[in-house]
Amino acid sequence: MTFLLLITLGLLFVYALYFAAQTARIGSNPRDFLDGAMMLPSWSVMFILPAIGVTALGIERHLLLVSYYGLQASHIAVGMITLAVAAVMFWNRLWVATRLAGLHTPGEAIGRYYDSIALRVIMMGMCVLFALPYSANLLSQAALLLQQATNGTISREMAVWVFALSMAVPAIIGGWRAVVMVLAMEALLMAILIPGIMLFGEIVLSGDIFPNRPMPVDEGIFWDRIPGVLQGYAGVGKNVPTGGIFTAVAISSTAISLAGIVLSPATLYLGQTARNGPAFGISAVWLTGGLAAGILLLVVPVLAARMPAGLVTYAEALAAIVPLAGVSVILLGVMGAIFAISFFVTGGTLLVFRELVHTYLFPNLTERGQRLGARISLGFGFFLLGLMAAFMPFVSAVFASVALPLALQLLPAMVGFAFMRWISRGAVLAGIALGSLLVVFTEPLGLIIFEGLFIDLPWGRWPLTIHSAGWGLAINLLIVFLSSVAKLSGPEMYQRSRFHRAMKVHPPATTARSGLLWGLAILWGFLAYGPGAILGNFFFSDPIFTDLKSIIGVPSLWVWQMLFWLFGVVLVWWLSYSVGYGHTHEVNGKPIRLGMPHATRSPDWISSGLRRIVNRSGDASPDNPDRVSERLLLPDLEVKQPAVKPKLGRTRHS
Amino acid sequence: MGQRLAEDDPSSRIDRFNRHGLVMAIWAPAVFVAVVLFHAGYVHTTNWWFVAAFGSLITAFCAHIIVNVVLKTGFTTRETALGSTILVVLTLGYLITILTAPDMLVDRLMMPIGIGLGMLVVVVVVSMLISFGPRRAFEKFDVVRDNNLRAASRLPHRGGRR
Repeated sequence: MTFLLLITLGLLFVYALYFAAQTARIGSNPRDFLDGAMMLPSWSVMFILPAIGVTALGIERHLLLVSYYGLQASHIAVGMITLAVAAVMFWNRLWVATRLAGLHTPGEAIGRYYDSIALRVIMMGMCVLFALPYSANLLSQAALLLQQATNGTISREMAVWVFALSMAVPAIIGGWRAVVMVLAMEALLMAILIPGIMLFGEIVLSGDIFPNRPMPVDEGIFWDRIPGVLQGYAGVGKNVPTGGIFTAVAISSTAISLAGIVLSPATLYLGQTARNGPAFGISAVWLTGGLAAGILLLVVPVLAARMPAGLVTYAEALAAIVPLAGVSVILLGVMGAIFAISFFVTGGTLLVFRELVHTYLFPNLTERGQRLGARISLGFGFFLLGLMAAFMPFVSAVFASVALPLALQLLPAMVGFAFMRWISRGAVLAGIALGSLLVVFTEPLGLIIFEGLFIDLPWGRWPLTIHSAGWGLAINLLIVFLSSVAKLSGPEMYQRSRFHRAMKVHPPATTARSGLLWGLAILWGFLAYGPGAILGNFFFSDPIFTDLKSIIGVPSLWVWQMLFWLFGVVLVWWLSYSVGYGHTHEVNGKPIRLGMPHATRSPDWISSGLRRIVNRSGDASPDNPDRVSERLLLPDLEVKQPAVKPKLGRTRHS
Repeated sequence: MGQRLAEDDPSSRIDRFNRHGLVMAIWAPAVFVAVVLFHAGYVHTTNWWFVAAFGSLITAFCAHIIVNVVLKTGFTTRETALGSTILVVLTLGYLITILTAPDMLVDRLMMPIGIGLGMLVVVVVVSMLISFGPRRAFEKFDVVRDNNLRAASRLPHRGGRR
């Protein structure tokens, strides 16, 4: 199997290299390297969103959780609907805002809307968090999987560097467009492999298919039902919850945390750089809400029932019958990780380059210079990734645990940006600060540091079976809504109102429809993964309206999941097509000016520091140092250039 | 001249490249799945695996046609050449295997792979008939007529229909 596996991974690398080289050969504007000319093909975005959702759960991790906890863990997959809703709404608003106000990155969008450098820094922090510890953790796990699959022929460290290099080279050559196109193919391959492997395994392996074969969980774990709405449980590491950790509240908070992946800067950037058209709707409704959620709810339990000992054992069992089938299982595990790594490291590095390096350190880079700078940054980013994954797997794992919940803390900021103009900057910042604090102290990061330095805390990870994202978001929203009430006027409000009025034209949504939609969405959420989901435990096996027992042959909870998955698809369909968020149209009309001063330049201390180190000719002239280091952040359209008639010397403002 | 201008246009180049990316994104997984299934058929001695393998290729072909319809394009010259070459090479390989391989292997592979290759040809022909109609589909292979490069051959009364 080792040889075949290496050949398959090699072919994957050749495919990426081919597309990187082809992208480089197109000969488009060098600046397109960073954003694909803001015209990424619609189909690539369509395929990538569901795969991002699946990798947010983690293929190997989700399979292990389902094989350990059964259908209660599988229930989290209903959260793909929430993810689809978040994606279609925020992508659409950000896409429109980008074209309306000449924004280039998610950080710039949020920063300029709230007129806050702090929010830009927070966005950059998110980029780094996803690009380094989060991705390094995934890379370390993928390398470990390869080590196990090859029986140690390829060590974990070696696999880390080979993977890092094989992802870095295509990204450095082809940039954002090439990476996105390769990832789209990988997404499609994953969508085929998951059900394909399940079907193949059921045909060639002996034994019954799930649910005839019950989930091989430990004693005391309810594999076919949700263990209550909430449990008085101190958290992981403190005590053991009864019947399993995935209570209804745990499921809902975990499902909501999946929306954090949509709010990660790289995912927002993907939506921002897409071409106009129906891509968001198709992606959210049919591929994420429909296909990906369906595969996770229907296929993964069947697959997980066969692999209590993990992917490698299952791969070996299949490889004994058909070696290439075993390779496919390992490929699925590895590809799930390298998909996310490639996406977050490339996206994150490009964003950090644009937000930090190009804006503040080297504001006067030419287009070719920007491309070169981005290539160097990508090399540096992948090198740091390899370093973390190879030598700091534990630190990476600890920091990776807070990536999704921390990204979710940007939700109020994005809601304010996209829909609610009365959410103020102070409220958003206060909410993020306190929400993040709560996230950190309900995850290993805060617990390990605090308990190591001071005393043992009375709670562990996810106290009361509530995901850290849920704790953080609850306090965050509370603070945002309470403090936003106090500040509703001023020039900021006028500017925001103009911005929101302009955005409201795309798409034209009626209030009546929206009210009904949100009412149904809340009802759906309550029953699908909220406290109402507990009804699904026995609803179809022991109906409450009769004494008779129903024999349906499958667990009642599984039927409940399928039912609310289908209702969820209808919900996303309504939002995308009926309300209109699923389609983006060409944005015409007068550009909007958003916050921030007209121009910014490198801070003096950075400029003088750089001048001491590098003698950059042409960057700063001694007679007027401010003039040349100035980089206009607003689009050219907003800057009114005086039209001077030749030889007349009169100035007229156009 | 017009064609050259279209090729030089960056947006047109990017559009063609995007389409190429989509086509490759469809074919690459389909070919991988087909290889796994062929492998399973070879190892497992069950003909259904071969059926599934050819089914995977035919599905990819159908998806390619859908892409052409949605993007309002057709098969490019390179795609046609590559597809024809692969089909010819596979057919030749199949014939050589039948002639040279041991009887046991021939017994196992001849029927499923022969029918599968035949099905691929049938699918291509049917797709051409649906897309172009019988006359234009036949004209695609009418090399003798297309080979006549004289300008007069284009005149209707000389039979030119190019």
